[in-house]
Amino acid sequence: MGKVLAGRRVLVVEDEMLVLFLIEGFLADLGCTSVTAAATVEEALALIGAQTFDVAMLDSNLGGAKSDPVADALDARGVPFFIATGYSNLATKVGYRDRYVLKKPFQLEDVEASFRHVLSVGREE
Amino acid sequence: MPEEAEKTTKQKKAEAEVEGFRRDLGPFVVATETTRMAMVFTDAKAPDHPIIFANDSFLKLTGYQRADVLGLTFDALMAGGLDAETMAHVRTAFEGAADTDPEIHYRRKDGSEFWASVFISPVRDESGDVVQHFVSVVDLTKFRLEQTQAKMLIDELNHRVKNTLSTVQSIVWQALRNSTDPDEIREAIEGRLFALSRSHDLLTREDWAGAGLHDLIKEALEPFGVTGGRAARLVVRGENIRMSPNATLALGIAFHELATNAVKYGAFSNDAGSIQVAWTIEPSPKGDRLILHWREQDGPRVAPPSRRGFGLQVIERGLAHQLGGTVHLEFLEEGVSCTINIPAPRGARNG
Repeated sequence: MGKVLAGRRVLVVEDEMLVLFLIEGFLADLGCTSVTAAATVEEALALIGAQTFDVAMLDSNLGGAKSDPVADALDARGVPFFIATGYSNLATKVGYRDRYVLKKPFQLEDVEASFRHVLSVGREE
Repeated sequence: MPEEAEKTTKQKKAEAEVEGFRRDLGPFVVATETTRMAMVFTDAKAPDHPIIFANDSFLKLTGYQRADVLGLTFDALMAGGLDAETMAHVRTAFEGAADTDPEIHYRRKDGSEFWASVFISPVRDESGDVVQHFVSVVDLTKFRLEQTQAKMLIDELNHRVKNTLSTVQSIVWQALRNSTDPDEIREAIEGRLFALSRSHDLLTREDWAGAGLHDLIKEALEPFGVTGGRAARLVVRGENIRMSPNATLALGIAFHELATNAVKYGAFSNDAGSIQVAWTIEPSPKGDRLILHWREQDGPRVAPPSRRGFGLQVIERGLAHQLGGTVHLEFLEEGVSCTINIPAPRGARNG
């Protein structure tokens, strides 16, 4: 089976270190060799301005601040992404209805399916 | 003099009626005027319910002067601050045809708002005709506010629980990846779960506003015997500055990992070693920094680890990532040295 993230440059925006380590582990299993991490909106915006990413995974809440500006910056550059969140009802809220939202906690399979969805890559490559 | 006698009787009767009214209704009139419940009487014989009496509480609640209200109809007064749908509900309630008492969200002249329940009851004369309406208004603003806050708290709690579950998942996942020995796996998972739990306890005691750095270190190192046998071998120096909940959770895990390493390989793995933890706040162009040093000495001679395990990754990379700083972990021969350089909490330099 083809690995969905092989050769892709992935941006992970997640403030909690332990959750980030889990995501990094998942991404490695999905064939990713290029992961860049940001913990705050400012850090993420600086990275998006300075580097090119193929896809991103974005926590909805970064140290108590909403990550919306990061979503807007990714949109502006046409970088596909999905949102990970601990809020159960986020997907129904204004501004998130058109987003792909993944609820925490998530399994490797959920993360893989989310990347496949936003990258429009089917299970068979 | 029968006529005079009759007049006297009439007079007496009238006087008695007035007296009786005062005696029977006097307290009610006073009560209506002074109660904290907002109350209004309206005239049922004229259209749109003209207000004929409004008590002080009603004026206070709606933000009107007595002169504004008298001569105004209840409908006009309500319509000034209600949407059409609620207004229709209020009218239905006047007709006695509403299934429920209207709940209103009223916007005052000054733009402020209140929530209230409106109870409307007819007042009838002897023949049963409705002559007035008695309207009482119960202010629900505080209740509504508390309800909203409770809902927000539940949402936030749920959010925190889900994030914590992700954290726990990570702890379990790492433990399973790093070892095949069940005892080692259990120890790794439990150690970190209890470290997390102690940080939560500490934050809960402070209503999740944060925790003192001294308290945080003491709490994290407590399971390693530093309040018992090893107490003299740990020296912690620095102001008990208040760290954010985010920093408290991250540092709680990091100190747990440092202590675990010290007990396994470092200064707490023999009988002579000691650990010094000290910090200062230092100004920098990017704002004040908290510089914390963890120094181990007199332990066994240190050799750098062959690989960076999960615990060391948490200390070096995780902490730096979550707190937006730098962490230098050095395996010096005389003992492990760790320097944590993170943004200082606001106001830390002045105490």
